[in-house]
Amino acid sequence: MILATECDVVNEVICAPAKVTDLFEFDTWFTVGGLEFTRTTFLMLLAALVTIAVLYFGLRNRRLVPSKFDAAVEGLVGFVRDDIGRDIIGPDSRKYLPYLLSIFLFILVGNLFEVTPLINFPITSRMAIPLFLALVTYVIFMFLGFKKNKLRYLIDTAWPKHVPLGLRWLVGLIELVSIFFLRPITLAIRLFANLVAGHLLLTLLLGSAVIFIASVGEIGAKSLIAVPWLALGLFMFVLELLVSALQAYIFTLLTAVYIESSINFEH
Amino acid sequence: MEGNIELLKGAIALIGYGLGAVGPGIGIGIIAGNAISAMARQPEMQGTIRTTMFLGIALTEALALIGFVLFFIASA
Repeated sequence: MILATECDVVNEVICAPAKVTDLFEFDTWFTVGGLEFTRTTFLMLLAALVTIAVLYFGLRNRRLVPSKFDAAVEGLVGFVRDDIGRDIIGPDSRKYLPYLLSIFLFILVGNLFEVTPLINFPITSRMAIPLFLALVTYVIFMFLGFKKNKLRYLIDTAWPKHVPLGLRWLVGLIELVSIFFLRPITLAIRLFANLVAGHLLLTLLLGSAVIFIASVGEIGAKSLIAVPWLALGLFMFVLELLVSALQAYIFTLLTAVYIESSINFEH
Repeated sequence: MEGNIELLKGAIALIGYGLGAVGPGIGIGIIAGNAISAMARQPEMQGTIRTTMFLGIALTEALALIGFVLFFIASA
């Protein structure tokens, strides 16, 4: 249990830690050359391993009649290839499929750690991971934009010719800030904030329920307060399954949209 | 205790976040509602509409999420 057990069950109605960051920061296990290895580091490596293993074992044998697991992995790959890649980017989406598929599966596994028993910690609720993924996406779509359109990418964004002259500077300014500055930040914050909110809710509700039930001998009838917390926590648990999958989908979808808008940059 | 504005910091940040969530809430409602009526009119376009709806929701939601993060920064 991550939640601090020194909860004042007599006076409080919900067990909250003294500081919110206590739920997200773990002790350093060991240090290698300045790199601190914590629980999050290992969960990140585990997520990468799970992603690789799922793809390797799912697509290893190409049989005429695939097994259930093979069919599920094929379905996932097909979903990213068709519903995200082909529908958004268009015919040359195959070039970007490896990137889209890897971030989709990595974020999905990382998000689902939130509701995995015994792990219960979404690695994407640490800003470093969404921020890094968003920066990779940023580098890719900036590179594509400048490669396909040269400096016109910057100039036409800041000075859009199709807008009436009076508004052109304002639209240009908004577009410039939004494309070159806000896109990677919102991409990272969207994933991060959703998972932080989910992890907070689940830990507070289910953690409080467990603590109140456990201290029934001490506080008597007041431990009934655990019932609404438990019910709400279980409801949120199911909801978080949905949110985990949805956020992985949205991150990949927006990556595809940004790549597409850099390739087909025409005004 | 009296006149100590520091104690109100968290509460003010909470009110600010609540105000910041109003706009995106209305926006997401409009997007989802219009997507539903579009799907009802043209069920064969469901896939495209759903993708576009998620896209619109994701872009609208960004404002509320920035507010959520700023709430933690302001109340820390």
